Amino acid sequence: MTELITGLLQESISGIALGCIYALIALGFTLIYKATEVVNFAQGELMMVGAYVNFFFVTTFISSAGEPTLWTFIVALAGSIIFALAFGWLLDLIINRPMKDEPIFSIIMATISLSIILRALVAIIAGPMSLLPISPFGEGVFSFGGIVISILDTFIIGSAVILVILFYYFFNKTRWGVAMQATSEDPIAAQLMGIPVNRVNSLVWIFSALVATISGILLAPKLSLLDTTMGFLGLKAFPAAVLGGFGSIAGAIVGGVIMGVIETISIGTLSFHYVWIKEINDIIVWIVLIAVLMIKPDGLFGVEKVKKV
Amino acid sequence: MKDRYEDENLHWIPVLITLVILLPFVIQGLTYSYKYYLFVLNIAGIYIILTVGLDLLSGYTGLISLGHAAFLAIGAYSSAILVDQFGIPFFLSMIISPLIAGLFGLVFGFPALRITGMYLGLTTMGFGFIVKRLIIALREWTHGAGGLDVSYPVIFGYTIRTDWDNYYLIYFFAVLAIVAGRRIGKSKIGRAFMAIRDSEQAAEASSVNLAKYKMLAFFISGLFAGFAGVLFAHTNHFISTDHFDMLLSIYFIIMVLVGGVSSIYGAVLGTLFIVLLDNLFVPLLEDWIHVFFNTETGDIQSLIFGLVMFLFIIFQPMGLYGMWLKMRIYWKLFPFNPRKRFT
Repeated sequence: MTELITGLLQESISGIALGCIYALIALGFTLIYKATEVVNFAQGELMMVGAYVNFFFVTTFISSAGEPTLWTFIVALAGSIIFALAFGWLLDLIINRPMKDEPIFSIIMATISLSIILRALVAIIAGPMSLLPISPFGEGVFSFGGIVISILDTFIIGSAVILVILFYYFFNKTRWGVAMQATSEDPIAAQLMGIPVNRVNSLVWIFSALVATISGILLAPKLSLLDTTMGFLGLKAFPAAVLGGFGSIAGAIVGGVIMGVIETISIGTLSFHYVWIKEINDIIVWIVLIAVLMIKPDGLFGVEKVKKV
Repeated sequence: MKDRYEDENLHWIPVLITLVILLPFVIQGLTYSYKYYLFVLNIAGIYIILTVGLDLLSGYTGLISLGHAAFLAIGAYSSAILVDQFGIPFFLSMIISPLIAGLFGLVFGFPALRITGMYLGLTTMGFGFIVKRLIIALREWTHGAGGLDVSYPVIFGYTIRTDWDNYYLIYFFAVLAIVAGRRIGKSKIGRAFMAIRDSEQAAEASSVNLAKYKMLAFFISGLFAGFAGVLFAHTNHFISTDHFDMLLSIYFIIMVLVGGVSSIYGAVLGTLFIVLLDNLFVPLLEDWIHVFFNTETGDIQSLIFGLVMFLFIIFQPMGLYGMWLKMRIYWKLFPFNPRKRFT
């Protein structure tokens, strides 16, 4: 029994780290959904592109300067962030602007075809081989009485917390953040109040590309191989976002962490102790999603929308 | 006076039937590799049956399904198991297996009573993953992820073996599906579906039973897809869970969207367009591109596919059928076209 509990604790921590990644992806969905009501199915692919770009920068620096130092990773991070800013702006230009008045059905399809394009493009440019991700932290671990925590996991959790605090500050305390909130509340009223809605929307896309890139950079060292299937992880962030209530930033984060923990413990210890969990561990997030939608369609933090005739 | 059952679009059906009968002979006359084209057309025919059903669900009723490959899988697996392991004759399985898929449709549709829009898309996507997993879990019958060999279909003592036989078997039912889809769309049920799509509140106020018709939409759609699955299993002779990927479901929705939402002919056109694009034109383009770049085969194919979809959705949201309607209006009004309406 103690074995089970240690296993659960151990996996909960690595689950929280995975959940932080889901939370960051879900945050990207939520930002776009709140501002423009577009559901971005390509968020996972944005994450993958971010991871690849970062990998590309790191390898370029290593091949020109030799051994990787701390500075290599910092410069690569800065490069990827600049790339993400440009990429988000471009996406706003090609997806959000032309699709403004289309039905939601078409917009979902447009983002799905964008995800197909991005996957194919990355596969063409990077070549067919999977890459070995380079971790700035090596294999280092902490140990607390039988529970082992890797430095990478602590770093992921730490950066996610910092990012969320920064976002919270940005949304509630700065002019642009408040403008974003107003736009997502009611675009027409916001426009009447003199808020440049188009510019706010492109800012939203830039932000979500940024979050996706950062989550990609954080996730890549956690994977054993880096390839284009990484984009499919973005699909798992959907249940996370729905669990928290689509459109709620706090919900995205809590939902992401819960989903990460559920997934990790169901793949690990629990499936050794209970055979039936082994059968469902790769679809458990979807089962949770359907259960949540049946019981409480608005999620944990969602606001119920009632449409009256 | 127009008859109640008259549908001017059904006047095309005799033309369609002659076209379907003659097409293989034309292709045979034109090229030596006609067997491959016949094979591609067979796939298109199976997908047409499915997309007609999907159009009734997503186009007419407005309930997005991102898990329709699951219905195809249910139809295919249940028919394969019924025929090969329980010894039920093929034509009986053609009735029972779609019904099983339709019942699963009711299960899929149950969440639709409470949720709509993209939440429903996510739920159906989740159901798609769950069905795939379920098929692997029932490995006593389905042989798990290893796949299942399926026998040749036998109808009234005649065994269907060649691509020619398959072609006529599939297209017999494809034409039937088109007519049925058209009739359902024009009937009381179809009008109720469209009322639900346009405004649930208004539909309910006009005494359309929302729960009943939403479930019915899922049931009918499941029937069509299950039927397509039966044909898929018995003409492909091998099925495994890899055939029923999540991406396939997305392809189905894209087919409906490219053809033009809520028109049966649109779904047919879109399916033909996508299947031919994917199997014929893209490989040709690819050979040409390979002269300049040296890459893996599948990547350029999906890149072109994605690009075409993307441009289509951005520039022609009404789809192929919408383009045709615009052209028709253009020629009807020919010298007196109001400007700027047809950009």
